[in-house]
Amino acid sequence: MSILVADGLTHWFGRELALEGVDLVLDTGEHMAVLGDNGAGKTTLLRILATALRPTAGWLQLAGLDAFRERRRLRHYLGYVAHSPGLYPALTAAENLEFFCDLHDVSRSRVAEVLETVGLTQAADRRADRLSRGMQQRLAIGRAILHEPKLLFFDEPDASLGADAGDMLMRIMEGRTVVLATHDHALANRLCARTLILRHGRSLGTATHLRVVK
Amino acid sequence: MNPFRVAVAVARKDLRSEWRTRELVPALAQFVILALLIGNFGFQIDSRNAASIAPGILWLALVFAGLVAFGRAFAAEREQASLEAMLMTPASPVAVFAGKAAAAFGLLLLCEAVMLPALSLFFGTPLSIEVVAAVVLASVGMAALGCLFAAIVARVRARELLLPLLTLPLWIPFIIAGGSAVQSAMGLPGNYQEAIGLLIDFDILFLVLTSLAARFVLDE
Repeated sequence: MSILVADGLTHWFGRELALEGVDLVLDTGEHMAVLGDNGAGKTTLLRILATALRPTAGWLQLAGLDAFRERRRLRHYLGYVAHSPGLYPALTAAENLEFFCDLHDVSRSRVAEVLETVGLTQAADRRADRLSRGMQQRLAIGRAILHEPKLLFFDEPDASLGADAGDMLMRIMEGRTVVLATHDHALANRLCARTLILRHGRSLGTATHLRVVK
Repeated sequence: MNPFRVAVAVARKDLRSEWRTRELVPALAQFVILALLIGNFGFQIDSRNAASIAPGILWLALVFAGLVAFGRAFAAEREQASLEAMLMTPASPVAVFAGKAAAAFGLLLLCEAVMLPALSLFFGTPLSIEVVAAVVLASVGMAALGCLFAAIVARVRARELLLPLLTLPLWIPFIIAGGSAVQSAMGLPGNYQEAIGLLIDFDILFLVLTSLAARFVLDE
């Protein structure tokens, strides 16, 4: 069953075309990587799919609902890790997650579980601005899975993460539908069965497994 | 989802962040003290004219302190890229806005707690419950309007310029009614009860209007 159906997604930033007519169908539990050079439109596509940005044209259905009409209802199903961690620097790792528990109406007992999943149990009481960039990224990933979303959108989640990033992401992605933007072809091949390639905002098509040719 | 719980969580988060970083309140307190000091030396204050000059200085300092406090409410979220994460939750944008406005109001109250005794000290005017009530009531509506415009301008580059241009004209009713209430509380002619009644009416009106507008401002 298709959990994500996108038709002709197009976005203009002023006079600049960022995304042009991208079509996409994703089945429940499927993992798809989005590859492309800088400025190819990966972040724009992910923000539109995560309903953080309304496309200039096109149509998007998530979990059988019109993504932009039912945006608020869909928030329970979606988790999004943006390019920037977007944490509150003066709050501790645990406090950052507790705050989002309140916004998601999730019990605060979930915080310890999530910190363990992303490997930050030891850093629970450290302020976010005193965490390394990689730890901040882990915390942002933890925030995205607090409410146990069925659909996850990751914008370069491996940025600054350590060597075990692939294993952690694999554990988190298990049983969920995921769209992941990355520059790392090896990671894309390891975590995702399908790959979408973007160039200058246009889809060059999808492939099941990429062979990297140097 | 309980909107009250969301608003409390947002306000608590902002106040906790301010308590730990102490970015805003010490600077605002210093600003209002300096503004009162300049007013004190700029005018020839004596026991006869203090009550007529002090309210003007009070409202000038309060308005500019408010612009800084409310401007930071959303600018910090944009700089940290955290607003998007907050709005990606199922929490109501109106509740998020209410929490941000409540925290900014709380910070302005702290600033007023420094300003009003300082005003009394520099100008020799009475620090009465009537003066405090007028200033606090005006701050409620000013916080709601200030935060709404801060949310609107947070995404543009010239926000420091735009915020006063948009906010000050709509703060005029609060400055007129609040100024009149403070003047009569300091012994000048005027109807204190009428001015306070007007302030309450303006507070209700602008709280309702900003709550309705916040949904559209934050949702897009």
